[in-house]
Amino acid sequence: MRTNYVINSGVRFQLLSQDQLQEMFDGVLHVLEYTGLDVYHDEAREILKEAGAWVDGLRVRLPSYMVKDALAKAPRSFTIWARDGNPKHNIHISPGRAHFGPGPTCPNFIDIETMERRLYVKSDVPAVAKMCDALPNIDFVESLGTVNDVHHELGALYEFAGMFPNTSKPIVAWSYDRFDSAGIHEIAVAEAGGQEAFELRPNYVHYCEPLSPLVSTFEALDKLIFAARHRVPLIFTPCPISGGTAPITSAGIVIQGAAESWMGLTLAQIIQPGLPYFMGGVFSAMDMSSMILAYGAPELPLNMAALTELAHFAGLPLWQTGGCTDSKCFDEQAIIEGSMSVLFSALTGGDLCHDVGYTESGMTGSVFQLCAMDEAIGYARRITRGIEVNEDTLAVPVIHNVGPNGHYLREEHTRRYYKNEFWYPKLCDRRNYEEWDMMGKTSFKERTAARVRDILATHQPSPIKPETEKAIEKALAEAEERVKDH
Amino acid sequence: MSRLYERISTAIMEGDADKTAKLVQRGIDQELAAKEILDNAMVVGMGEVGVRFKAGDMFVPEVLMSADSMQAGLEVLRPHLVASGVKLIGKILMGTVKGDLHDIGKNLVNMMCEGAGFEIVDIGFNVDPEKFIEAIKEHQPDVVGMSAMLTTTMRAMAQTIKAIEEAGLRDQVKIMVGGAPVDAAFAERIGADGYGSNAPAGSDLAKKFVGAA
Repeated sequence: MRTNYVINSGVRFQLLSQDQLQEMFDGVLHVLEYTGLDVYHDEAREILKEAGAWVDGLRVRLPSYMVKDALAKAPRSFTIWARDGNPKHNIHISPGRAHFGPGPTCPNFIDIETMERRLYVKSDVPAVAKMCDALPNIDFVESLGTVNDVHHELGALYEFAGMFPNTSKPIVAWSYDRFDSAGIHEIAVAEAGGQEAFELRPNYVHYCEPLSPLVSTFEALDKLIFAARHRVPLIFTPCPISGGTAPITSAGIVIQGAAESWMGLTLAQIIQPGLPYFMGGVFSAMDMSSMILAYGAPELPLNMAALTELAHFAGLPLWQTGGCTDSKCFDEQAIIEGSMSVLFSALTGGDLCHDVGYTESGMTGSVFQLCAMDEAIGYARRITRGIEVNEDTLAVPVIHNVGPNGHYLREEHTRRYYKNEFWYPKLCDRRNYEEWDMMGKTSFKERTAARVRDILATHQPSPIKPETEKAIEKALAEAEERVKDH
Repeated sequence: MSRLYERISTAIMEGDADKTAKLVQRGIDQELAAKEILDNAMVVGMGEVGVRFKAGDMFVPEVLMSADSMQAGLEVLRPHLVASGVKLIGKILMGTVKGDLHDIGKNLVNMMCEGAGFEIVDIGFNVDPEKFIEAIKEHQPDVVGMSAMLTTTMRAMAQTIKAIEEAGLRDQVKIMVGGAPVDAAFAERIGADGYGSNAPAGSDLAKKFVGAA
């Protein structure tokens, strides 16, 4: 029996103090109470007003008790379920668990054969979903692109219809409007076995994006209302750019972005108390020479760490960002920027870290970057797992038995631990020169490309139910019918 | 019969020493030829271990368990091999050179070579050139293996090879070298016959030297 003994399970990381977090928390409430947001959705304003918000034209201000009430209703721990019941593909959201996945809506894609940039098309969707399904450190799925070769209003629905059969890991579904959202929901519900079954075991997450600074757009709230009424776990993810659409300081962008998230939170918790809700999103810098939103800047992981701590302080899970780059190709910049933000994100324990596989500042999706980052995430996870200290791991008797000039390779202790104590790379090469030479002197890029092509040629995701296949056909046919004159 | 061979090679791949010894004994009880058991079951199993290790599907602690199982099988088999006058595929003299106390690598090569069907004479670590020469005279090996782990002691390999030449024994043996700082270019420079980058590579090289590969 040990007394007053503290165990660190994993690496300790803390950016902000409790005092600083309290100050930021109060800052967010102040912005919502005194400045408020413009809310471009009549029904949303009505619902908020009825619950106690101060409404003046479009402007909605929230008394702080309403926000605190919403925070109290939102759960901190819950599960997003794999559609096929595979327990390894479930995502358990709770403190200290970091999960990773790609992002949505890049216009371009790095072609899998040529590795050249081109428009993203429908046939890329199953490939990305399969990659996510196979990569061991990717936990949730998005498509890394906007489908360009279908009717311009149906990209999101075709995207979900292409992803769902090709992965059983939970999908984060983006959509244009509530019609898309309804089609997507029908497909997911068919697989779950009805709305009631879906509510018990939700198998996807809905994604909405408000506008910075301080605007709740019609589409974002319309989709939010749909998701809340159907009890679909929700991500509400602003994308403020410091110096452009948000204050240039890290503390300032975090406060403004959190206020944008919590307007959505308050509305969602009024409609559906207890709805799983992630605040987001992408909080980075506007590069003051190129004017881009920098996905590879150090300010991104730093801002995201602050936002993660604020979210956890308030009792919410976070939609994190990492594994992305401003580089246009698969090069050293892409790997440095992606790996740094992956490690930093893992250290914060931000709950769902997205945009893994984004290149060119979010303009181009790349499964090569995704695959390389799977390796970086594995590396980061070994670090965040930390060091276990107990009688057996201290190994004092083993050291005694082996003694001077012996070796540990044959020890039962070694055999018991070598698989878990060490992380084994899939892409990083540790062979000696001769073997590396013999195996064709491959570069990291070549090995990554080979792994991507190998997975796509061999990986078999678990199938969807026959009734879900019918639901997909029906949803697509109805959608085509709806837009045929547009 | 072939099913028993398969079970023996599987037991070796799984690193189950007790089971290997028991199955080899069963083969003897069934009056199978010792040489057949060695070639068709044990060497096959250990060969597969080498292949898997190279492919990254097996790790050193597992290879050692397989090597231990091979040993356990050989213990049972040895008297029968001797009785039937069977020769192993070759004899290797192994040592870590003068000034160097690091012999894990050399021990691993020993195990892999033994697994491949060689007889091993291990003369230990911190071995000076004179001791290598005496041992060559005494044991008449086909292959001499040397290891060094330090950049400071790898030069002793060159001195040892030179001493073997001066003793007039160089033509009698093939010399292979290995160890952390050593590479193929260094091996060539100091006049060795070959270099193995890891334990299975060492045993492959030895097999090539005796024409068994």
